Amino acid sequence: MNILRKQTLSRRTLLRGAGAALGLPWLEAMATAAPEVDKGPVRMAMLYMPNGVNVAKWKPEGVGRDFTLSPTLEPLAKVKDSVTVLSNLWNEQSKDGDGHYVKEAAILTCARIKKTQGADIRNEVSMDQLAAKRAGDQTPLPSLELGITPVAVGNDAAVGYTRIYGSHISWSTPTTPLARELNPRSVYERLFRAASGPQGNEAKMDALLLDRVLDDANKLRKEVGSADKVRLDEYLSVMRSLEERVDRANSGQQRPWKPRFEIDPAGAPTDRPTTHEEHVRLMLDMIAVAFQSDTTRISTFMFGNSVSNVNFRWLEGVSAGHHDVSHHGKNDSKLEQYYLINRWHIAQYAYLLEKLGGMREGESTVLDNSMILFGSALSDGDQHNPHHLPLVLGGKGGKRINSGQHLVYTEDSQVSDLFVSMLDAFGTPVERFADSSGPLPGLLNS
Amino acid sequence: MRIGAYRNTARALAISALAAASLSAQESYALADGQVFLSTYCQACHQGKSGAAGFRIEDIQTIESFETEASDWGKVVTRVSNGAMPPQNAPAPELDARERFTQWANESLHTAACSLGITAGRRSIRRLNRDEYAATIRDLFDLQIDVAGLLPVDGAGGEGFDNAAETLFLSPLHSEKYIEVAKLTVDFASKEFKSRQKIFVAEPGPGKSPEQAAREILAAFLPRAYRRPVAQSEVESYVQLFEAATKQGNDFEPAILFAIRSVLVSPRFLFHYEPPNSSSAKQLLDQYSIANRLSYFLWGGLPDELLMDIAAKGRLHDPEVLRPLIQVMLRNDRALTFAERFVEQWLRTRQLEDDKAPDAELFPSYQIDEELRSDIRLQPVFFFQHVFKANLSLLSFLDSDSTIITGTLAQHFGLKFELQQSKDPRWMELPAGSNRGGLLGMPAVLAVSSYPYRTSPVLRGAWILDSILGTPPPPPPPNVPALEQSNRAKPSTVRELLTQHRENPVCASCHARIDPLGFALENYDSIGRWRDNQGGTDLDSSAQLSDGTAFHGPEGIRAALLERKDLFIRNLTRKMLGYALGRGLTLRDSCTVDEIVAKVKQNDYSALTLIEEVALSTPFLYQEGSTP
Repeated sequence: MNILRKQTLSRRTLLRGAGAALGLPWLEAMATAAPEVDKGPVRMAMLYMPNGVNVAKWKPEGVGRDFTLSPTLEPLAKVKDSVTVLSNLWNEQSKDGDGHYVKEAAILTCARIKKTQGADIRNEVSMDQLAAKRAGDQTPLPSLELGITPVAVGNDAAVGYTRIYGSHISWSTPTTPLARELNPRSVYERLFRAASGPQGNEAKMDALLLDRVLDDANKLRKEVGSADKVRLDEYLSVMRSLEERVDRANSGQQRPWKPRFEIDPAGAPTDRPTTHEEHVRLMLDMIAVAFQSDTTRISTFMFGNSVSNVNFRWLEGVSAGHHDVSHHGKNDSKLEQYYLINRWHIAQYAYLLEKLGGMREGESTVLDNSMILFGSALSDGDQHNPHHLPLVLGGKGGKRINSGQHLVYTEDSQVSDLFVSMLDAFGTPVERFADSSGPLPGLLNS
Repeated sequence: MRIGAYRNTARALAISALAAASLSAQESYALADGQVFLSTYCQACHQGKSGAAGFRIEDIQTIESFETEASDWGKVVTRVSNGAMPPQNAPAPELDARERFTQWANESLHTAACSLGITAGRRSIRRLNRDEYAATIRDLFDLQIDVAGLLPVDGAGGEGFDNAAETLFLSPLHSEKYIEVAKLTVDFASKEFKSRQKIFVAEPGPGKSPEQAAREILAAFLPRAYRRPVAQSEVESYVQLFEAATKQGNDFEPAILFAIRSVLVSPRFLFHYEPPNSSSAKQLLDQYSIANRLSYFLWGGLPDELLMDIAAKGRLHDPEVLRPLIQVMLRNDRALTFAERFVEQWLRTRQLEDDKAPDAELFPSYQIDEELRSDIRLQPVFFFQHVFKANLSLLSFLDSDSTIITGTLAQHFGLKFELQQSKDPRWMELPAGSNRGGLLGMPAVLAVSSYPYRTSPVLRGAWILDSILGTPPPPPPPNVPALEQSNRAKPSTVRELLTQHRENPVCASCHARIDPLGFALENYDSIGRWRDNQGGTDLDSSAQLSDGTAFHGPEGIRAALLERKDLFIRNLTRKMLGYALGRGLTLRDSCTVDEIVAKVKQNDYSALTLIEEVALSTPFLYQEGSTP
């Protein structure tokens, strides 16, 4: 049923035109909604790096196609033709409040978050979740949220924000940050289970179970006051989305696009990575597996939480933690270390892009069909500077993106414009997103 | 230092706790002074119909406005105290003027709020957090598995704990995990003798149909899972589920286990449900809600039969019953869960697993020795447990003659104790001059307030101001110019660097408060070992506060903190009440905090009094009336 909600043939148009439309055989009616046979669907991910960048080592020289990768971006050399470096964008809504939380929590929402230690958390829906709401039912999982470090402990009483803000970039509603998976093995098992669907009569039993607990929730909802209804609605919403998935499995309906790759249950990674680098690599592998198997088309990943002080002493040339060196105070040694840490993050990003580039999908590759955004929510960490966000977009978004360029915009162009363009290339176009003024010029062809 | 009775509320006021200078003049601050402050620094933007952000200072010009416009006042205080207002480039008050204003405004807010009387406050329906979920599963099935690691980590809200109702969100990830974990749990339970006994209280046989047996099993299981009596209709709905499962071809046992795992996904299991108050006046919570609140507060899991029996007799709100009951509960081993969850979040020592893990290369002993690591982590937890179990003074956290010792810790401290062979942690008297009394002598605390690779007087100072005194320093102002280092001697020690730092007046105002506290602890390295010198240079652990108080080393700082014990007690009380209620505190709750603090002081800072008074408080035992 869910496939009916696609743009070419929405459930509403179908119901409106009742008789005629319903008379059509299923897949024929759907043919226009399904992607071209040879071209895989478009995927989208955001890799978030905390603490900003050493600005002097970040910005590439040259504009347009004729540009040179900066020292920080140099690990992208092999995939240079597939990346687009974006300069001078900013997120105006995050310009004040504090140095970190307002910027990180709003990087994909472009909203002004509410200052609170938890009682009344408020952000907006993030762009990835907007896409997931509209297209998430085309894949077993609507989206995949990943991270490395658990939600930071406690409140940051000094600045007056709960650390929950600093640990979530994906928000499904203005009041619901999405929990992240941190363990590569459980991600893999989850992907496998989702992709292979329920076995035996599992789907039927799950349907019975969900029916029972949804009924409990509806009854309970009638007993509680209005404030508590919000929480129960959250429960109803997550359980219903699970029910929809089970329904899809029970209907035996074929998915319109069939991936060429099946997840091997024997390929599960360790659940105890021994180093930070191994942990990051494994999580990025999970994005690759998810995208290649088309288990989901949307993912977000956080290298660390806001204000992360991951200890980087294992990285050659670095003797301190991430947040510590980002407050470099123009000290040469700290600036160098800051750059090395940034460059390491870019190298991990390059690892993912190269991996996706090696996954064939007919004439193209998964990378060709992806948009993998890398970025931080501030530029110079020492100043908590919200201008000149460091952003790179990897992939060609299904031939939509003019990649291989350094695009330099007018000072303080809205990052929300980028999201309008990405949502368009993803196949879930919007006219505006948050404070956007329209698509980002020069990024998409046609 | 005492600040007028215990009228000092909240944080902003307390920021000035260590700046005695600004306090003496406080008595004379009045409405007129506050109005001058507002008109000088706020009026230009915030006046008239189009006041910026919809806020106009005309609305807050009377003493009554502290009651009628409390929310506006609250925002003013927060923004002025943490430097968010006035905005950059606008004329801004000096720190001293800022603090005098916010202290006065806070006191006025507090007075206004408390004149309205004690309230129960509102807690929204609260989901079991992942630790509570895992403990509940364990208790319910008498099953020694820990499923917490299979669930997403919960973030903190309220007073900094991950059990705050308002921040226990549900993601699609949760729904998947709840279903999976329920299945896994029931699979395990069906293979364990003890668990089977908990589940299979009846079996089909001659004279008992499978349906009747299922009904008996579910009628026994549901009230335990939901932690309260259950209506017959609810039992029937699960009996029907059992029957539906048999129709799918399942035998008796798999069908029962299926019904049971469904119960574990029901909102009545996953949420702490308390029957709502439909009247407009506050009312006593129902007995089972109290049983649950007590049990999840002091044991972190399911109420036992004793609690449920007392609830059934309707006696759980009675102080004569509650006081001895609390002592019994604190003496139970299950109270260790409470100690662990509270301490590791209050002191943030949970972070020793993540960002704060001491560097493996620099501190190989910590890396290699698993026993040392766990003894360090658990020392404050056992310390806390002992203080409450033995009803010691809460001031033991600031300084104590005894502490929790293991053989490994004794070695780490370079101290000798008469220890038995047992590896169990023991409460031992410390030798004179050991520097190991109270929280500040504990490696866990000293490590979590350091970088993983070096100590930082700034981090330690800020940690004390925040975690111990409840007076976190305001964040650094944006765009502080970097220190010009070209024309001066390069600092050779952290102390010299920070001294140069404080020459910048913008930095000095706060760092003069933060850094000295940390300097006094410089004799402890990043994993809490004692050191007399660093890199061959003797360490200087002398320090001076901005009010001129000079002190030296750990003994000095302990004495300085004991002088500020009221701040500590208030902070600990706020934390305890917030943890017990599972929600953030409001301005109105600060009046409840006042009452509890007063009782604790009357009883010589008795640890037990703190718990008793929290559990007997209006917000803990009552629920707010509902507003139509």
